[in-house]
Amino acid sequence: MDSTTKKQIVISPVTRIEGHAKITLQMDDRGQVTEARFHVNEFRGFEKFCEGRLYTEMPVISARICGICPVSHTISSVKACEMIQGVEPTYAGNLLRKLMHIGQNISSHALAFFHLSSPDFLLGYDSDPARRNILGLAEKYRDLAIRGIRLRKFGQEISERITGKKIHAMGIAPGGIAFPLTEENRKALLNWIPEAKETIHIGINVIKKFHDENEAMVKSFSPTPTLYLGTVGSGGQHELYDGKLRFVDEDGIILQDHVDPKRYLEFIAERSVNWSYLKMPYYKPYGFEKGIYRVGPLARLNVASRMKTPEAQAEFEQFKKINNSKPVHGTFYFHYARLIEALSGIEDAEIILNDKLITDKHVQHFARWNNHVGIGCSEAPRGTLFHHYVTENTGKIKKVNLLIATGQNNPAMNRSILDVAQQYIHGDQIEEGMLNRVESAIRCYDPCLSCSTHATGAMPFMVELVDSEGRILKTIAREN
Amino acid sequence: MSMTKLTLQIDGRSIETESGRTILEVCKENDITILTMCHLKGITDVGACRLCLVEIEGVSKLMSACTTKVADKMIIRTSTEKIKRYQRITTELFAAERNHVCSVCIANGHCELQKLAYDVKMDHIRYPYLFPQCEVDTSHPLYVLDHNRCIVCTRCVRVCAEVEGAYNWDVMNRGTNVRIISDFNTPWGESITCSDCGKCVEACPTGALWPKAVVQGQLNKAPEFISDLIEKRKMKL
Ligand code: SF4
Ligand code: SF4
Ligand code: FES
Repeated sequence: MDSTTKKQIVISPVTRIEGHAKITLQMDDRGQVTEARFHVNEFRGFEKFCEGRLYTEMPVISARICGICPVSHTISSVKACEMIQGVEPTYAGNLLRKLMHIGQNISSHALAFFHLSSPDFLLGYDSDPARRNILGLAEKYRDLAIRGIRLRKFGQEISERITGKKIHAMGIAPGGIAFPLTEENRKALLNWIPEAKETIHIGINVIKKFHDENEAMVKSFSPTPTLYLGTVGSGGQHELYDGKLRFVDEDGIILQDHVDPKRYLEFIAERSVNWSYLKMPYYKPYGFEKGIYRVGPLARLNVASRMKTPEAQAEFEQFKKINNSKPVHGTFYFHYARLIEALSGIEDAEIILNDKLITDKHVQHFARWNNHVGIGCSEAPRGTLFHHYVTENTGKIKKVNLLIATGQNNPAMNRSILDVAQQYIHGDQIEEGMLNRVESAIRCYDPCLSCSTHATGAMPFMVELVDSEGRILKTIAREN
Repeated sequence: MSMTKLTLQIDGRSIETESGRTILEVCKENDITILTMCHLKGITDVGACRLCLVEIEGVSKLMSACTTKVADKMIIRTSTEKIKRYQRITTELFAAERNHVCSVCIANGHCELQKLAYDVKMDHIRYPYLFPQCEVDTSHPLYVLDHNRCIVCTRCVRVCAEVEGAYNWDVMNRGTNVRIISDFNTPWGESITCSDCGKCVEACPTGALWPKAVVQGQLNKAPEFISDLIEKRKMKL
């Protein structure tokens, strides 16, 4: 091998994230990782096949993009429909939608933390990959695993009790929601609150203990600064459902505030790359590299001035201390951020369930097609989600643009993988524990690949070391 | 027409009835289940869907119960293995002919075709999907016609002509190219005959015709309403 030969490590697919992906690590001859590319192999083409449908079908069709965050798609979609109709949702309808959105967020964060990530913290990164999952967890930490599973159930039960379906809920409609909440269902959901809150606190203790015991690793885990985008309320408070956009820079300076999501294209541009279906969005005023921004739980806490609820606020204040009130860049803190959000969601759910009008029967306003364009936005578990429709006179969809959280995190994700790979991989010694840390960087973002590419097929899980000619130097196969 | 009493046998049961009735009518009166799709009580039967096929002793081919009149001493069988096989084939062909994606369909959970698929236990489809390119006509201010989900039962055509008297709907082309058309194949919203009454929408068994005002889960079609209307109109007050 001559000295200019480059090697590539390919990790494919990354286990324990939704959808399928492959990572290529480009190495130089000294065994230094020089470039990381997170490939997405799926393509589902939702934007294309929605053309020609009636706009009011979009909340149901787009929910099928993802089995984890269907409600966020539906909410963004239904808001776009409401802009097209020029109608506002009813008070009770909106509250119920908010509650469903919280339910999904809790359920998704529970999945990300308890099922997908906590095995790494509690069983160890270098433990047997075949047991490093929720079942392995259940063997050693039975109570915690059950609590994690039940928390996810709570999230889904919210959906079931409002709409009659756990996953792909029916009835979220322009102008509100189709069905009112019954008193019996309201009470049943309220009964869940203490347990759900306790589980989140246990989760927070797990992550904090891990932070304390692994301080160096946590702090140095892909801390490359980026810009952040998230939704805030009128007082700058953390918001998931309604609100305006805020961009902050790496020092926490507010770049744009209270931007109506309808204006997203003024601030976000996208660039395509030939090696991935995921587009690379960036903050337009700063151009591509400088304008790399992140969305999601970490971003939302980094842009927010405060949390809406007391227990989440107390945790938020501790979070803020990590980097002296400046944005927290360490990618590992995504987990902590997710749990703080889940806590806030539970407190918020309690407030909503105690609202006198929550069981009001007037749940939907009715309107017709009025405007050509509709843009809707909500904070999906993984970040800010935009749905943008252009319709013909009668409401037939002419064009669809979906800007999805994982897509927006994509450039930053590549950077994080590179950070971690450079830190943990030296030479061509590929060991299970090190590779898992690269994957783990990606899991911090909890990417949902099927949705971000609107894009099947599992590839055999293999790690390949490839030189610049494409010759495979080494292959490690691993059980999924 | 003078009625004559007659006796026939259906699935081994001896049944007394009158002449002039269809096999389907007689079966319904006697709680004998027959699968139907193009039939809607009160409007003219056309025998289009071939789901209501029955075996009649002495007749070599299967006959549609909705269009075949009873005769004295007829021996009829309604649920033989052969009939079940045909019903399943017919249902599979319905599903393969157009583009049915129940999960996102407005009629999901309220669809006669979907119910039929359960009734004939359709767990898979043995025929290649045709995936035709179909239009969605959204031009009407109140309703949508989605050809992807149309099974060409022509219930809409007959209801519009026979009950409303508007004659908006018709059928164009043949075979897999057959399409329901509004007026002379113009967008529904531009129809000069449609009275916006919505009877076709009520009559349609699938998610092919639906009101713009509803989303999935809210569709509640009542084709029986049309049959009641026909009965009420016959009443001379
Ligand atoms: S019309 Fe009926 S069978 Fe066809 S997609 Fe809709 S629900 Fe399914
Ligand atoms: S539109 Fe409905 S009622 Fe009319 S032919 Fe098609 S399936 Fe039958
Ligand atoms: S119901 Fe008899 S042929 Fe359709």
